[in-house]
Amino acid sequence: MCHKIRHPRYWLILPFKMAGLEIISDQGYRIDGRRSSELRKVCARMGVFTQADGSAYIEQGNTKALATVYGPHEVRKGRGKIQHDRAVVNCQFSMATFSTGERKSRPKGDRRSQEMSMHLRQTFEAVIVTELFPRSQIDIYVQILQADGGNYCACVNAATLAVIDAGIPMKDYVCACTAGFIQDSPLLDISYVEESAGAPFLTVAMMPKSEQIVLLEMNSRLHADNMEKVLDLATQGCKDVFAVLDRHVRDHVSESHALMTAS
Amino acid sequence: MIKTEKHLRLKTGTGRTVRVVREHYLRDDVSCNSRLCMAECRNEGPGLLPKDVTHYVVPDCQVTRDYLEILEFPEIRGVLFTGTVVHSMQHQAGRRAHNRLRNLLRDPRQECAVFANEFQQYAYCPREQGETLEKWQSRSTYKAAEWYYNHLAGQIPVVVLSEDPQIQEEYGPMTPGVFVVNMGEYLNNFWPDLQAAHDIYESLVAGLQEKGKSTGGSKEYIDYLPVEVVEAGIKSGRYLRGNLQVNKHRAQQEAFVRMSSSSGGKDVELHTDVIVVGTALRNRAVHGDTVAVELLPRSEWKGRSTAITDNTEGVSSETEEESKSVMPTGKVVAVMQRSWRDYVCSFAEDEETQGQKKNPGKVLVIPYDYRIPKIRISTRQADQLKDHRIVVRIDSWEADSQYPNGHFVRSLGPSGDLETETAALLVENSISVAPFSEGQVKELPTNTEESPWVMQPEEVARRRDLRHTHLIFSIDPVGCEDVDDTLSIRKLPNGHLELGVHIADVTYFVRPNSLTDLEAKARATTVYLADRRYDMLPSILSADLCSLLGSVDRYAMSVLWELDNKYEVLDVWYGRTIIRSAYKMFYEAAQAVHDRKPEEELIQSIPELQELDTDTARNRLEQICWAVDSLMDITDHLRAGRLREGGLELEGVEVQVQLGDSKEIEKLVPKQPLAVHETVAECMIFANHWVAKRIAETFPNNALLRHHPLPRQEHFESLVECAKAQGFSIDTSSNKALAESLDKCVSKDDPVVNKLLRTLATQAMSNAQYFSTGSLPRDQYFHYGLALDQYTHFTSPIRRYADVIVHRLLLAAIGVEDERSAGVVKNQELEELSQHINNRNRAAQHAQRSSTELFQALYFKDKDPEDECCTADAVIFSLRANGVLVFVPKYGVKGPLYLKDRDGLVVCVEKDGTVSNTSGTLIRKQFEVVVQSTKGSTTFRLFQHLTVRLSLQRSRAHPQTLTVTLVAAKPYKPDLERVKGESSAPARTDVVKEVKGSSAESSTSQGSHDTTAAMGSEFPELLCEYGQSRSCDTLYGLMEVFREMSLAEA
Repeated sequence: MCHKIRHPRYWLILPFKMAGLEIISDQGYRIDGRRSSELRKVCARMGVFTQADGSAYIEQGNTKALATVYGPHEVRKGRGKIQHDRAVVNCQFSMATFSTGERKSRPKGDRRSQEMSMHLRQTFEAVIVTELFPRSQIDIYVQILQADGGNYCACVNAATLAVIDAGIPMKDYVCACTAGFIQDSPLLDISYVEESAGAPFLTVAMMPKSEQIVLLEMNSRLHADNMEKVLDLATQGCKDVFAVLDRHVRDHVSESHALMTAS
Repeated sequence: MIKTEKHLRLKTGTGRTVRVVREHYLRDDVSCNSRLCMAECRNEGPGLLPKDVTHYVVPDCQVTRDYLEILEFPEIRGVLFTGTVVHSMQHQAGRRAHNRLRNLLRDPRQECAVFANEFQQYAYCPREQGETLEKWQSRSTYKAAEWYYNHLAGQIPVVVLSEDPQIQEEYGPMTPGVFVVNMGEYLNNFWPDLQAAHDIYESLVAGLQEKGKSTGGSKEYIDYLPVEVVEAGIKSGRYLRGNLQVNKHRAQQEAFVRMSSSSGGKDVELHTDVIVVGTALRNRAVHGDTVAVELLPRSEWKGRSTAITDNTEGVSSETEEESKSVMPTGKVVAVMQRSWRDYVCSFAEDEETQGQKKNPGKVLVIPYDYRIPKIRISTRQADQLKDHRIVVRIDSWEADSQYPNGHFVRSLGPSGDLETETAALLVENSISVAPFSEGQVKELPTNTEESPWVMQPEEVARRRDLRHTHLIFSIDPVGCEDVDDTLSIRKLPNGHLELGVHIADVTYFVRPNSLTDLEAKARATTVYLADRRYDMLPSILSADLCSLLGSVDRYAMSVLWELDNKYEVLDVWYGRTIIRSAYKMFYEAAQAVHDRKPEEELIQSIPELQELDTDTARNRLEQICWAVDSLMDITDHLRAGRLREGGLELEGVEVQVQLGDSKEIEKLVPKQPLAVHETVAECMIFANHWVAKRIAETFPNNALLRHHPLPRQEHFESLVECAKAQGFSIDTSSNKALAESLDKCVSKDDPVVNKLLRTLATQAMSNAQYFSTGSLPRDQYFHYGLALDQYTHFTSPIRRYADVIVHRLLLAAIGVEDERSAGVVKNQELEELSQHINNRNRAAQHAQRSSTELFQALYFKDKDPEDECCTADAVIFSLRANGVLVFVPKYGVKGPLYLKDRDGLVVCVEKDGTVSNTSGTLIRKQFEVVVQSTKGSTTFRLFQHLTVRLSLQRSRAHPQTLTVTLVAAKPYKPDLERVKGESSAPARTDVVKEVKGSSAESSTSQGSHDTTAAMGSEFPELLCEYGQSRSCDTLYGLMEVFREMSLAEA
């Protein structure tokens, strides 16, 4: 069903000329062969680590992310953070030093990581039913193992699976997807090359069943007329992601169930 | 919904330091784009391979790069480009070649297609370790061809073109039905009769061989810097990016780099152009190329020369003192983008110097355009084509070669011949005037005696019928045939007035992406030359079905306004209509109506009334009178409103300016402009404005508008200077102030002064341009000349393609459903299209002007220099270091008058009035040039009148030009009187007639060009109706033309 062929040495033809690359060809193909409203290949696994309460690994094309969830447990550090009516969600985002083309010197704690952590926290505080766990804390650790565009989306999707794996109740799945607006047409799930083209793109995290938007971020200016088109596409993308995630969750559950009944 | 049939492949590569990982999805739903496809491919769009060819051609990367020109032949159809080839063109062949390929693919007439083989699951082959890029490309192309052959179930043989003998050997016998041949064999076997292709093939091969054996010896030029260095340099401000413009008059020495607005933003001090002195520093850049320049140290900066020179070689008047003001001087470090086109060239006269021993068969040819360097081509036909003008393309310019290498494309005919010269100026302006193709003619409706054209009942039902409710009439110049626009006016029951403008409905006949549409898009405008015109649309449309002739039913696009008593617009209606123009009036007739001439005279002047009995005619006449009067009332009001806002009095400015530039106008401009001209023009402006409003509102991102930017103040300097010489002051602060101050610059005893000043003012203007609303900020939409916030072109779809687009946009805006999808294009595409139209318009005007100059030159060709008609009055309008520039009002010629010749002798006027050359010096002052010599001194002031003699300077390779020599330093009486009396100078048509007459025999006997042959035979009629159907005859048209014409003479 899904062959992966690796070519360790594929010399790029004149990388600097890539600047003039057309993002979408006249025939409607993108650089990697997708059409404008197609997602990249999504592969996921749940329960990759046994020591954590929940964990998941996701690949969206070449973007790979790992998420682990601990909790809910009592608030350890900083007792002042305790909320008496709900759980505190603590998120930490990091990027592996080997995740990008050039080795990253600082895997976490830089401005962008902090911002990303904050976004993740906001996202998950909104979907986890925190009222069920007053005075406790839920930790979500996400790491990007390989970055190729749509890092936030991969993190959200991986974290969703990990939270489900941990058995923490959520209002709904939260799925994220990007959509860009390049050469006057909306493009779904844009990769790193497409991101680098400098066109505006939108990152959406939503609860797919109710179509409620949890987080919406836009990186640059986009004319209001085009907003609707792009948002519609991103919504569709989130639903597509949901379909995949949901299938993985069901597969995982039936697998575990089979194992349990067998033992 | 995830596509599971997709297969993931990872590409890993190491660039310089970065490791790039790309995904690559393989799919099985890649459409094959062939009409023969029996599988369920989604084949749509323009690029589909035809059914009716004997084979498909699949060129590989190298063939496409080297021989794209041959594949562009319209005869060679069914060319399949693989995705691999398209990518390699993009990365390895440069942007220009890639764009050409893209245009080829987008043109449905060529019937070429792309097969995205790299995304096809079974046609894709990954590159193996150690495989060279070329090998892999050939292999993947072959594999794609093989897959293609099998996909079409072997219905049609596929020919793979490859120059690599190894590939031919290896893959040739692999699959029956898929052949591998090289280009030469292919042409011999499949196209033995296509001589033109063989010719080009030969010269391309020769060019390629030349390229291969680059001597590597002494380099003539410095190598270009690598692209990434240049790009980084431009960003850091070290290099500047701009467009190279070679000085026409000093092509060897001077070139200017005009900064593109995007670059050099940091460098505040650089407002002017950068000068590049000499060919070595120009470093192989050709006129029009986009280059990167590096500034030289300030100590090496030079000024531009103020001397007037001609281009005769070897005359480097270095003694000429350089003017004090230096400007930034630079050298070209890289060419960012070539803008090579087809060049008209001719062989040099002295063959001996040509026969270079080291490479026989190589010839240097001299381009028609002074600004282009000589080109080395290899051809065996040099002897046959010795006296011909030929078309040449540049292929490359290596650093070790003094001249660029090119190849011969075709011959235009013997030089000096009218047809050849006309063809040459068309090629020089990249105007294609091939007759309309057969397929295109088939597409069109017919209207002959046997099968008259009738309206479709369903179409009639869809449109608003104005035939019985509205009194519609057209006002045109005498003899006009293609009537774009008609007017109507009526009183509504509520007492309000309803003004209507009805425009020919071209879009009904010209469907988007039909052949006619594509051809019209390519031409973009009708081209008017001095003696002929090349229509944008076939004549069945332009002169018949679209033309809103009198007393026949026609489809129209209408704009109707409801106006209250104060002529304020209450409501506006746009839509498709059916109209029947009741009267086809002439300007004079309409004016007569307005002036209340006696009834009999009026009835005489309107042919439609003549057949009626007196009473009816009188009634009708009253209607007309009312209509014309109220129309004029309304437009006066509109016009006044516009002028209050600062609109330029265009008819005053622009028309008379052109009086100076070419004399066609002299004939066309009515002595006293009729008020009714303004009326029609105002209605058109009004309609254009309202349509612009409507489409910009509905399509804020992709509507086609026209703007006229503010002129740059520094351009007015020469105007202000000149005016000062005569004691006038010019206020250029606003369009209104300018118009007013120009009106005041009238010298009582010399009417030429005002004309010249207006010429200078026109030259200072920016060009009006089309643009897409998505690509400019809103505050730049305005039209300076008309003082309107939004403007577009809507009223002449028969002769301008922009209007066709606007019609489609308007139809989509008002919700005519069948136009919705096809007529509206995206911003980017529209912006490209509007640039294309702007370019074509400019080219058309250049061609028109060159054509005028050609006729002027030919007029003097057979004249004896002593002939009376060669002597004329001239006015000095600009001063130079070694002479003055003069304007000859009689012939509308501008030219340099040398006061100091190449040997350093100055022109001296003796006391008895005779002119002689002696040694002496020239002193240039602010308003005058003083010649001091042994025989006394003479002063030449600005606006001084001189007597000059015009003669033709014969030139073999270049356009023939007129030279001006001084006869006497006093006004030429006969001419001056004539100017004062405002009597007609020899009409331009006379010139045309005379020249035509002398060359008519030769041109008809040759019958070279079908169009021209036809032109030649019916040439007398053409002459009488010359210009009649060009919209130039209307004042409005004139304004439009001249606003566009304010091109800086580069």
